[in-house]
Amino acid sequence: MTLWFIRGLRRGVVTTRYPARPDASARFLPAPPAFRPRALTAATADLLAATCPSGALRREERTLLFDVGRCTACGRCAAAAPDAVTSSGAFELAATSRSVLIKEIPLRGEAP
Amino acid sequence: MTPLDCYYIAAGAWAVAVFIGLLTGQGGRAWQGRAGLRACCALSALGGAAAAAGGGWSLLYGDTPVVSLGAATVTGGPVQLQATSLAGVFAALLGVVAVAIACYAPRYHKPSRGTGLYLGAYHVALLGCLAVLAAGGMVTFLVAWETMSLACYLLILRHPRDRAVASGAFWFLALSEAGFLLVVAAFVILSAKTGFTTLSGIAAHAAAVPGGWRAAAFLLALVGFGFKAGLVPLHAWLPEAHPVAPADGSAFLSGVVVKLGVYGIALFAFRLAPPLGAWPGLLVMGGGAVTAAIGILYAMAERDIKRFLAYSTIENAGIIVTALGAAMIFRASGQQALYALLLIAGIYHVANHGCYKTLLFLEAGVTEHATGTRDMDRLGGLVRRLPRSAVIAFAGTLGIAALPPLNGFVSEWLIFQGLFQGFRTGSHLTGILIVLAAGTLGLTGGLAVYAFVRGFGIPYLGMPRTRQAAEASEGGQPVLGPALLAVVCVALSVGAPVVLFALSRMARTVTGVTLGPLLLPGNLTVIPAHTDFAAFSPTYLSVFLVCALAVPLLIYLAGRPRAGSARVPVWDGGIVSFKPRMQYSAMTFSAPTRVTFDALYRPSVSVSRPADDDPAGRSGPVHYAAPVTPAFQRYLYRPLVRALEWLADLVRPVQSGDVNLYLLYVFVVILLAYLLGAV
Amino acid sequence: MTTEQTPQELRAAIARQFGRSLHIRTLDTGSCAVCEQEIRLLAAPHYDLHRLGFFFTPAPRHADLLLVTGPMIRAFEVAARKTYDAMPGPKVVVAVGACALGGVYPADPFTHGTVDAVLPVDVWIPGCPPSPLALLHGLGVAVGRLAEKVRDLTFTADDGPERERAIP
Repeated sequence: MTLWFIRGLRRGVVTTRYPARPDASARFLPAPPAFRPRALTAATADLLAATCPSGALRREERTLLFDVGRCTACGRCAAAAPDAVTSSGAFELAATSRSVLIKEIPLRGEAP
Repeated sequence: MTPLDCYYIAAGAWAVAVFIGLLTGQGGRAWQGRAGLRACCALSALGGAAAAAGGGWSLLYGDTPVVSLGAATVTGGPVQLQATSLAGVFAALLGVVAVAIACYAPRYHKPSRGTGLYLGAYHVALLGCLAVLAAGGMVTFLVAWETMSLACYLLILRHPRDRAVASGAFWFLALSEAGFLLVVAAFVILSAKTGFTTLSGIAAHAAAVPGGWRAAAFLLALVGFGFKAGLVPLHAWLPEAHPVAPADGSAFLSGVVVKLGVYGIALFAFRLAPPLGAWPGLLVMGGGAVTAAIGILYAMAERDIKRFLAYSTIENAGIIVTALGAAMIFRASGQQALYALLLIAGIYHVANHGCYKTLLFLEAGVTEHATGTRDMDRLGGLVRRLPRSAVIAFAGTLGIAALPPLNGFVSEWLIFQGLFQGFRTGSHLTGILIVLAAGTLGLTGGLAVYAFVRGFGIPYLGMPRTRQAAEASEGGQPVLGPALLAVVCVALSVGAPVVLFALSRMARTVTGVTLGPLLLPGNLTVIPAHTDFAAFSPTYLSVFLVCALAVPLLIYLAGRPRAGSARVPVWDGGIVSFKPRMQYSAMTFSAPTRVTFDALYRPSVSVSRPADDDPAGRSGPVHYAAPVTPAFQRYLYRPLVRALEWLADLVRPVQSGDVNLYLLYVFVVILLAYLLGAV
Repeated sequence: MTTEQTPQELRAAIARQFGRSLHIRTLDTGSCAVCEQEIRLLAAPHYDLHRLGFFFTPAPRHADLLLVTGPMIRAFEVAARKTYDAMPGPKVVVAVGACALGGVYPADPFTHGTVDAVLPVDVWIPGCPPSPLALLHGLGVAVGRLAEKVRDLTFTADDGPERERAIP
């Protein structure tokens, strides 16, 4: 018992200070993707929409609709088109309305 | 006018009832059967009332002188009768049970072919029991004992064509006869050594018998009467015979006949064989404690209500015998007050257990007739379908679980307080053994509460598990008999000071010790023979509990009009609909006990699935069975029976069937007779 | 929550009621239980939601907030409604995880696919599973203590140094 007590005292407080102070481990968390519009051709967008197993990506006319709520951070879209997709690093994703979570990503300005 | 005259009245009423009973059912009309049944039961109740009055009176009156009727009659000697105060409680119990069963039987039995024989046998059994209790002489006792046993055999054999019934009745008969042989031997030893055949004669001259013979007689009597009382390992007939007998027959067996075994042990321990050393008392106490523990443990594994109650009878018989054994120990070590106290406590428990066990068996009969099954796992929710029976059964359950304020609590409290004073014996070893016995009784008491929560909760509370339970109806079911017993239970607890006063008079007659203020110091309080140990008042406790329960009721009634809240459905955990299968079953409720005491039960588990080849693992209903190993039957009785059969096979060549060989036997015997006569 | 108030009034009302002490009832409507594990970690010393005044309670009658995971399978609908109805108002419903938000499982004969089909959801927390930090943020948003951030995120990246990509 004393051993753990001393160990605990030496280690100090391990409780995170979040939300008062940012948490250092947050950058290692899986996060939804961020897209590079410059690399997003229509073909790439179609590929990404087909790759997503959750149905979070859907290609409209000139935009890629990204439903953050449906994303599971599986990484398949990043693996399929690595120059178009990168990690957003965001984890504070709570929203008070569902529509706020559907983001429109503009495609590269190029005629299909 | 003495208590013996009351017994005569009872015997007369029951003798007439025998004849009327035998005639019932012989006439062709249904109304004749019903009328005969009712007449029989009326006489039975009259006799019961007389017996109860006589028994209660003889507690206060003391021992009557021995009365001899007839001379050199067919019984081989005059019939000798004596109303003793030791037998008083047993006779009172017999009377009360007879009255209750008399109120119960008309609605329970449908007069048919076997009813006449059954009623005749039942009343012969009542007569036999009364004669055992009123016997003043050895021969009368033994003849009455055997009459009672045979009559009870016929009682159990109400439906002789059924295999299970025949088997159960045979268990009873076989073990009764085995016990009877030993009892005869015990009586013969004492009678031959003292030269008297009257019980009071033997009692007066018991001190003249050499110690070894006295101890031997007591041991024989302990084992012989132990067969009847249900001491482990002599108990094997109880769980076999009780389920198959009709409910009032089972009630009579458990309520009275088992107590007669206890009476026999008490008779030898306190009247006929004293003074004994300490070790017979230790043996009796240890045997009683072991019986109690094993009885309740086996009861936990039973689904059949009547088998469960039969094992509970074994447990309570163990408790009573433990108290009697401790009384013997205290007598041997000179603690006269505690000796008298434990005798009183044991006899009090006899009366209490007789009342509530009879009640429970009668209610089991009502349940069986209302639902068609004795299996607890097929019942449930009967408190809504059979409300009056449920309330009465609850009173009996409170009594047998020894919960305050009912009578079981009072007598068990006295027994425990007596045992806790084991340190007052001089010897450390004895004190430790008494404490161990008290500990075992404590385990038994806790398990008894658990067992009877199960025994009342599973059939009566919750949801009905089968259609029969859901459709049970109370119409036409007997209520008066069990209700009478419930009233008696409450009276025995609230009126405990009165009962204890009468019992202390009995103790004075039997032991010569006057407890008086050491038991009842006044103010309706009870103390265990020493003023510095403990005290409690059953009457005030009952009143207090009733008042304490009234407080939340008053709060509810006072607060009701002012509440202005919304009524919403109760939060039930989100369950969509309750199903009966979501409840405890009788076996899952007792599972913790069965797992803990697995070494005793040794279940032989078998699991079977109909199909094993489905890739998804579906197999249809899985059947799981874990029957308890009947340890005593398998490891004690069956080897004994096999040994006897082997012996019989050995002797068989003597009965060859050859006439010439038989003539040779005759010739040899005549030759021997001549030679012996010449010598 | 009552819908007559504006979102701002709602936030203010929530902050008033639950700012210092919030009792949370979790509800699993058919999830894979990984969201439950993250929720359970909230009570562990590293994240410790008790320091923020949040407590778990099993009884919906004592709960202020219903934390729902899973895609609301149809077999659970009655129980979910019963749980929601047993909570006294004011109450908040928070849907947690991609399943509850409509991803992963489509609506079919066995699931509704999204919690919104049966219960009125106030706060949505995406993730699969959302980390305890994300859950803390979501609970803070639900009681009005923390600001909603996802509204301003665009999920687009300009040309620039490659950000360190977390292993999914």
